[in-house]
Amino acid sequence: MPQQVKRLIVVFVALILVFFVIRSFLVPPTFGEYGHYRASSVKEILSQNIKYAGEVVCEECHDDIVEIKSGSYHKRLSCETCHGPAYEHSQAPDEYTPYIPSKRDYCSLCHGYNPSRPTGFPQIDPVKHNPLRPCIKCHNPHDPTPPEVPKECKGCHEEIYRTKILSPHALLNCTECHKAPEEHKINPRAFRPTKPSSRKFCGKCHSKEAKVSEEIPRVDIIYHGYGNLCWECHYPHFPEAHTTKKE
Amino acid sequence: MEKLLEQLALALKEVTGYIYPNEIELHWGLLIVIYPYITGLVAGAFILASLVKVFNVKEVAPTYRLSLLTALAFLLCAPLPLLAHLGHPERSFEIFLTPHFSSAMAMFGFVYAWYLLVVLLLEIWFEYRKSFVIWSRTEKGLKKILYYIFTLGSMDISDEAVEFDHKAAKFITVIGIPSAFLLHGYVGFIFGSVKANPWWSSVLMPIVFLFSAMVSGIALVLFLYYIITLIRGEKIDMKCMDKLASYLLYAMILDFSLEALDFIHRVYESEESIKILSKLLFSKLFVSLLIIQVLLGTLIPMGLIAWTKIIKLPSELRRVIYFISAFLVQVGIFTTRWNVVIGGQLFSKSLKGLMTYKVELMGTEGLLVGIFLLLLPFIILYILLKLLPPWKEEAEPVKESKEAHV
Repeated sequence: MPQQVKRLIVVFVALILVFFVIRSFLVPPTFGEYGHYRASSVKEILSQNIKYAGEVVCEECHDDIVEIKSGSYHKRLSCETCHGPAYEHSQAPDEYTPYIPSKRDYCSLCHGYNPSRPTGFPQIDPVKHNPLRPCIKCHNPHDPTPPEVPKECKGCHEEIYRTKILSPHALLNCTECHKAPEEHKINPRAFRPTKPSSRKFCGKCHSKEAKVSEEIPRVDIIYHGYGNLCWECHYPHFPEAHTTKKE
Repeated sequence: MEKLLEQLALALKEVTGYIYPNEIELHWGLLIVIYPYITGLVAGAFILASLVKVFNVKEVAPTYRLSLLTALAFLLCAPLPLLAHLGHPERSFEIFLTPHFSSAMAMFGFVYAWYLLVVLLLEIWFEYRKSFVIWSRTEKGLKKILYYIFTLGSMDISDEAVEFDHKAAKFITVIGIPSAFLLHGYVGFIFGSVKANPWWSSVLMPIVFLFSAMVSGIALVLFLYYIITLIRGEKIDMKCMDKLASYLLYAMILDFSLEALDFIHRVYESEESIKILSKLLFSKLFVSLLIIQVLLGTLIPMGLIAWTKIIKLPSELRRVIYFISAFLVQVGIFTTRWNVVIGGQLFSKSLKGLMTYKVELMGTEGLLVGIFLLLLPFIILYILLKLLPPWKEEAEPVKESKEAHV
């Protein structure tokens, strides 16, 4: 074997050995026992103080409340979402009392009007909606269905309402286009309102033959955007088309 | 916080269309532009060196050692932009200690180590071993000790031993070519495999990166060879320059064709992203892509070199043209990296808006650090050239062989 190769082998073997020696010192002994992490970290995490009790523990004493909640719109919320970590309370109920949110700003974290929230999610304007009265005076947080069902669509569909009042459709009532069954107010997702299902519906005002104000934009209702429903291209709560003045 | 808000307010003014809230700040900045640029130079310079060893292109032999040292100087700096970008460089060794085989980024450490230790250093060692032995005998003081350490105690410079060195260097070059492809192909792979980004996601990405690496590497060595020879007051080997320029032209033609293919493919496919990409191309990237990368960095140097091939020009003019072309190519390839890295982050995932990127001056990811990282390889190369002069060997062995005979 040439001298060069012998020397190189010595250098490379030495480098590899040094690498493994350093590695044995630097890699934690329990690394890789379960996966690509330090197994002893699991014990460290386990030894941390427990903060949350979990709903099952709450139910052991507060089964009446859990029962009410399980039939309400808040059924998917965990008790500790509103009441905070309650492990200490579960261990010594008299010594530690969980937090009870009673101010308006807490509920509006989820229910304050925000245009990015899904349509139909109950939202109020915290300034206008029964000012200064704590939410829990009217709504039982464990069964928050409003004491009275909303009289107007905007009670829940504030975003659409705000959009529509700025549009050419501002004067149209929601019920002109949507038929909402009465149950929709109680159980909005199970009983959905209708949407116009034919082009003729929009044609009542927008077809060339329609006998309405001349300022309303007209199209050939049969051939314009053939094959689509009108609202598939035009957003009906803020239709972008404008009347072109006749010469 | 206020400074951050000020920056945000400035950036917001430049936003057009609709973007998501978390897209205003680009995560990969100037340093991530420099990283593929430097790695490309390494791969390109090495592939040029392989022309001499593997493909026996005798004309470019004067640049062989220079190419190897250039590749080494740039390779030593290649991970620095990443370390500066990520912060906590002391943690970078973790990727060697507890390797994560399913992560391409984590595997780069091994590609890098392989390329540095097994390919480049070994090849340089075999190439210079005879010189090390000679210098360890002729030099004095610290240099003598240093060269002796470099020999690793292998002092045999008999004809058989030197012959073995040449064979070994050739063998390593053969391994080195796929390794260089792996090194820079990997960088393209990292971008090409981001399937959520239509500007990056392309199987052609690693190949385009490779060819642009060759272009930049050849141009850099040509550039350095010209400057170093002028500084040394030596005569420029025009055959070598002509050949380098020819290879530069061939590599550029291939690179440009591949990029054009990628472009045509995208336009023909016309995926949903095409509208925003064309907006990007004609607004935010107009200067850096169409003017600098395509016109200044590709078409003009290609035209200039092609001109020297068609019309017989005096060698003084030819070499100036080569020099200018090599410089333009460097600028072009740097903007290529810029257009890939920054361009890929300038449009919203909504495909409906464009963001902006402003390089900061100070800070770990600022312009000053960027300039330093681009200058550092040249400083290292200067030291390497002082320590391992590529041209010194030609005179010494004659003396040595005479001494040996005596």
